[in-house]
Amino acid sequence: MPANIFAPFIWLTVILGGGAALWFVFSTVRQGRLPLRYNFRNVVVRWRSTISTVLGIALVVSVFVLLRALARGIEASSANTGDPRNILVVRKGSQAESGSLLGRENFRTLQYFDEIARNEKDEPLISVEIIAIVSMPRIQGPGEANTLIRGITARGMELRPQVMLVDGRWFQPGKREITVARRLAGRFAGLEIGGTVKAGPDKLTVVGHYDGQGSAFDSEAWMDADEARSIFDRDQYSSILLRPKDDAAASNIIAKIEKDKRLALRAEREVDYYSKQTMTAIPIKILAGLLGTAMSIGAIFAAMNTMYASVAGRTREIGTLRVLGYSRRSVVLCFLVEGAFLAAMGGVVGCLLALPMNGVATGTMDFQSFAETVFEFRITPALMLQGVAFSIVIGLLGSLLPAIRASRLPVISALKSL
Amino acid sequence: MNVATFVAKNALRNGRRALLTIISVAVSCALLISLLTLQRELTTPPESEAASLRIIARNKVSLAQPLPARQLATLDKIPGIVSVSPFSFFGGNFREETVTSFAQFAVDPARFAPLMVEGHILAGTYEDFAKDRNSCMLGADTMKRYGLKVGDKMKLTGTFYPVDLDLRIACIYEGTVDDRNVFFHHKLLDELTGDPGTVGTWYLLVESAEVSNDVITRINKAFENTSAEVRAETERAFQMGFISMLGNVKLLIGSISTVVVFTLVLVSISTMSMAIRERFRELAVLKALGFKRRELFSFILAESFGLAGLGALLGIGGSWLLWSQIDLQKLTNGFLVYFEVTPRIMATAGIVAALLGIIAAIGPSIAVARMSVVQGLKTLD
Repeated sequence: MPANIFAPFIWLTVILGGGAALWFVFSTVRQGRLPLRYNFRNVVVRWRSTISTVLGIALVVSVFVLLRALARGIEASSANTGDPRNILVVRKGSQAESGSLLGRENFRTLQYFDEIARNEKDEPLISVEIIAIVSMPRIQGPGEANTLIRGITARGMELRPQVMLVDGRWFQPGKREITVARRLAGRFAGLEIGGTVKAGPDKLTVVGHYDGQGSAFDSEAWMDADEARSIFDRDQYSSILLRPKDDAAASNIIAKIEKDKRLALRAEREVDYYSKQTMTAIPIKILAGLLGTAMSIGAIFAAMNTMYASVAGRTREIGTLRVLGYSRRSVVLCFLVEGAFLAAMGGVVGCLLALPMNGVATGTMDFQSFAETVFEFRITPALMLQGVAFSIVIGLLGSLLPAIRASRLPVISALKSL
Repeated sequence: MNVATFVAKNALRNGRRALLTIISVAVSCALLISLLTLQRELTTPPESEAASLRIIARNKVSLAQPLPARQLATLDKIPGIVSVSPFSFFGGNFREETVTSFAQFAVDPARFAPLMVEGHILAGTYEDFAKDRNSCMLGADTMKRYGLKVGDKMKLTGTFYPVDLDLRIACIYEGTVDDRNVFFHHKLLDELTGDPGTVGTWYLLVESAEVSNDVITRINKAFENTSAEVRAETERAFQMGFISMLGNVKLLIGSISTVVVFTLVLVSISTMSMAIRERFRELAVLKALGFKRRELFSFILAESFGLAGLGALLGIGGSWLLWSQIDLQKLTNGFLVYFEVTPRIMATAGIVAALLGIIAAIGPSIAVARMSVVQGLKTLD
């Protein structure tokens, strides 16, 4: 994403600018040139318009934060998947494991590579796996959705230590058994222990639930690879996962597979593969950006309206302030601070409104595998800070013009006004 | 000065506030319209009369699971079917693209022709496509987008199938609900993949809407308890099923829309009460002059209604103009193809704005009704 190139610069500008502004405000306050207490009291006294402004901004911020949390959830589940030591091999040209086809001969070639690490029993840590897609009925809401079934080997489970059994037991090869991710079981009917999954003429019995700890494996169900191949009538496998001895061996294997034209395979680190599987988050991010912009424009106008009214209602007070010796700059600043304070309250309330959704599991169709991907809303502290920063920007933009207007009021006529 | 000019003058006497209110209502209305349109586009597939006559039969396990080609003989014997064609999603990437926004399907041209009920050939001939195994039929939208013409070559890299295609464009079609796709010979796909004897799905046309349920039941029955059980459904049901996989889009967008409307209400109420509070003294004078509560209420209502209406007009017109001018397909990389602001959606936004105008007038009206003349005259602010 090109936006990421600019992100550090934007943050740097925001931090520097914000720091300078804060320093400026505080130094002015210390010298007694800013009647801040007056502003805060005003916010309390005009509680009716305060509440409506704060609520308006809070709603905007909570929508923004929730949509970002959705996108964060998808990204987090991809970022949380895989072992940096592992290498995933798929067919060249395929974009996802589910669309990849590779033959047993590929596996036979790869398993004799010297660079592959071995376990205590001196078996090479390499697993050839198959991804099948099965349509299942949802628990909530109408209709069916595709789910991923991974045919896996004992080595493959060894290579994914982050996946842990939480209930029941693992499947036994040859017995038509399947172990399902707990989060997936929460979304589809018949995935409780003892339930059955219908795969064509065959039925698979659910014998356990595992926890993928927020990884992409939370959207899968696991069974034996060769059994899956026979049930789903597939000659070919989908992918190979392997662990090289060390980092040098890893680069070596990737280069070797890349160079070998006969293999027509693509190898990359498992973590790299999954970090690219975030295409699904893009439309949500676009939606968050568009909505955030459009709603914030509305909110800026609303804040502007409130601040203008508050300036108009306080003409005499502003005149008094000026007579007492507060400079124009102080008046501008104090109204800006008031607007920012109002909006920041809105931002905090908005984040609090969004917070209960943190950790709530939801799902959507993954655009690469066309299967359901399960993830959670992730409201991180950074995201909440962003939300509050966003609200402060709304407040500052909304109060800038009213503040300038307040500072320009002619002192004498302001004092005379009713 | 009559009542109308009185109301208009009052509404516009604080020009800045009137403008800000109108703009914030307009922006919110535009946003609401965009959201409702997005929801409609994502949850309602384009309507087509023939969609109820066409049936898609897929493997019961899932769409990704292929069906044996031998099923064709059984399907041909089922009464009520006009034509059956294999229909396999190729999922290739065009040229060097990583995300290609049009689909490619392998079909049997001889059997596929009757299925294109709404479509017609724009350039080239269907016969040419049917004769040449290395040719394809291309949708007019894709042709325009890439500047292609009959006779050009299309290079497609397979992502689901481990083969690549190099197709000559034999003809261009248009007039279907989705004029983007590429159709090519299933025989070519079989040849390239070493004839595995499978197809993706079956696509068939029935004689009439009355027999379609019957045909669906017969198909499902015919392959029950075989190694490849089939789920047949009308094209429309199939599309709805695909949409339901997106998850609860309706709920997501619906709740965002509610928040937008709620924010809108808050903004308008606070503006209206500001406008009335400023004018408390005048309203007290009006009361003293003998205007009844009902009349005062209608002044306030007319003002708030007028402001909301103006905002709505701007917002609705603006968003309609915006979405009819923007090429969204290019902008979203094919994620959204059509983005039509329907009259129904515009009317919804209009009603919301009208209700808004009424709701915003209630609070200030009650305040005005309650105040005593003396108290109102005393108000300074």
